[in-house]
Amino acid sequence: MKFSIPSLNQAFLAYGPSYRKIPGKTLLLLLGMLVASPMLWAQQSEAPPASDSQAIKELLERVAELEAKVKKMDQLEARVRQLEAEKQPTATAGSAPVPGQTTAAPGKDTEPQEEPPVPERMDVSKTLLRMRGFGDINLHGDNRKGDTTSFTLGQLNLFVTSDISERFKFLSEIIFEGGPDNIYGVTRGQNNTFSVDVERYLVEYSQSDYFKLAAGRWHTAIGYYNTAYHHSTWFQTAADRPFLFAFEDRGGILPIHSVGISASGLIPSGRLGLHYVTEVGNGRASRSALTQEPVQNVIDDQNHKAYNLALFARPEVVPGLQVGFSAYRDLLSPINLPRIDETILAAHAVFVRPSFEWLNEALVVRHAPFGSARAFRTPGFYTQVSKKFRSYRPYFRYQYVNASNAEPVFPDIKLRQGPSVGVRFDASESVALKLQYDYTALRQQPAVSALAMQIGFTF
Amino acid sequence: MPRPAHVLFFMVCAALLWEPLLSCSLGFAQLPVPEPPAAERNLAIVVNNSNPVNDLSMVDLRRVFLGERGHWPNGRRITLVMLEPGWPERAAVLSSIYHMDETEFNNHFLHGLFTGEVFVSPKTLSTPEGVRKFIFNVPGAIGYLRASDVDKTVKVIRIDERLPGDKGYKLHVPPRENR
Repeated sequence: MKFSIPSLNQAFLAYGPSYRKIPGKTLLLLLGMLVASPMLWAQQSEAPPASDSQAIKELLERVAELEAKVKKMDQLEARVRQLEAEKQPTATAGSAPVPGQTTAAPGKDTEPQEEPPVPERMDVSKTLLRMRGFGDINLHGDNRKGDTTSFTLGQLNLFVTSDISERFKFLSEIIFEGGPDNIYGVTRGQNNTFSVDVERYLVEYSQSDYFKLAAGRWHTAIGYYNTAYHHSTWFQTAADRPFLFAFEDRGGILPIHSVGISASGLIPSGRLGLHYVTEVGNGRASRSALTQEPVQNVIDDQNHKAYNLALFARPEVVPGLQVGFSAYRDLLSPINLPRIDETILAAHAVFVRPSFEWLNEALVVRHAPFGSARAFRTPGFYTQVSKKFRSYRPYFRYQYVNASNAEPVFPDIKLRQGPSVGVRFDASESVALKLQYDYTALRQQPAVSALAMQIGFTF
Repeated sequence: MPRPAHVLFFMVCAALLWEPLLSCSLGFAQLPVPEPPAAERNLAIVVNNSNPVNDLSMVDLRRVFLGERGHWPNGRRITLVMLEPGWPERAAVLSSIYHMDETEFNNHFLHGLFTGEVFVSPKTLSTPEGVRKFIFNVPGAIGYLRASDVDKTVKVIRIDERLPGDKGYKLHVPPRENR
């Protein structure tokens, strides 16, 4: 505000060139004004900035208020449209909530008791399904006799969750995959036909961070890989799982899936970050022919149950580090064979950060037939390391498994070992391209060299 | 000897010239870039007023924000509230608490939900006013606001025993662009 000095200018200009005729009183007045002007200016130099910033602040606040009102109007319009849509006969129950419904801005001075609480948006959508998809498509070729280079549709994974209530949640993985199955080296089913598997099917109850209960079908907490990547190739760095953790219907040796109940949670341990997992389930099928469905989804072939206990630590001092072990026990009753006591001991140490991972796991599967002095031990391990360079993540993996030729449950495995090298390229946030070369040495058979390309994605 | 009228004329001219010069020079002096107040630059961690928690360590805060903790000590489920991408407050949280970028943040929660370790994904809201109102309404909610956006409808908790504005407080956010 420059109100006083311009008035002085105008007064002077009004007198113009006739200043010589200025009367004495007027001169004194002018002189007084001249003397007073610095003082006036001194007052202005303080006052105007304060009033300017105040005005700017008020204007900004006003603009913010108006913006908030406009957003609120947009939300109300969207809500009206939604309500109108719901009135239509074709409308389905449980429509999605209006985006930002709870974002209507209250006045900053809103008193809690002045405005009735707006229902939490989750209340509206709690029982709605949320779905996420994963998939992969591959081109694979190797030098094994009889194999052809093929394009292959990988698993199509529909990952479905729902918040049933504040403490209950549903989770499932519904998988569409092409055949045939490979169970302990025996193929089952037809080539090029798709089937549906419900790979995970869980109702979870979360009492606290120290106690969570789940019932249904899950991935057994043996080691690390099995519960870290499940059925999504997009999550995992490499194009495929280590063969120690291959799925049961893809030639794997472990009871990857279980049906039963499990409890898990934190163990009060301060900075050590201890966790536990206990599982009781049907275990793997054994009484029927081993080439049947290995996961006992509906009927257990015996009353004996499989038990698994896993403990792992995530120490606070090394973010990304997880070390742990697990012990799995079951009793198998194959047809025409004595019962077999099964024990699987596994240990892992993994270091996973967004730009670097180093996975190390080792386990031993022990099968001890009743009435026999001989126990069959199948040791195996893998190590995998990768580092991210912008969108590229080269990786290396070495894996090993050594089963006896006389192993009673999986006689086809024998010795397999060798390296894999590859690179993952994240073409976008949701699409990864992978190129992988595998060399696998086998006992009493020629080594296998394989090259695979994969596009893995989430949607 | 100069005449008094000349002196007076000179003084008047000086006054007339002085004013615009002063105005010009003061124009710069009157429009300094104001230093944003501390409340504008501090990021407050806020919870519902009914939440018994008043203090969190930075480590525990990170666990809560990562979804590694799902329940408050009173048993309430933790509901994490995030602002939409693009807000400086969100960028500050990703940098200071998560040590992740947007992609890594999204992957973390997607993977956490996939493995079942994260019980509920964060709630994303479009404005700080929305965050404030959501936290006011949801007993187990936790989120973040510029300290100048906090009012008494939510509770600010101490991080490593410090409140926003205290010396050594670690969570800061760049000033708003329109200031």
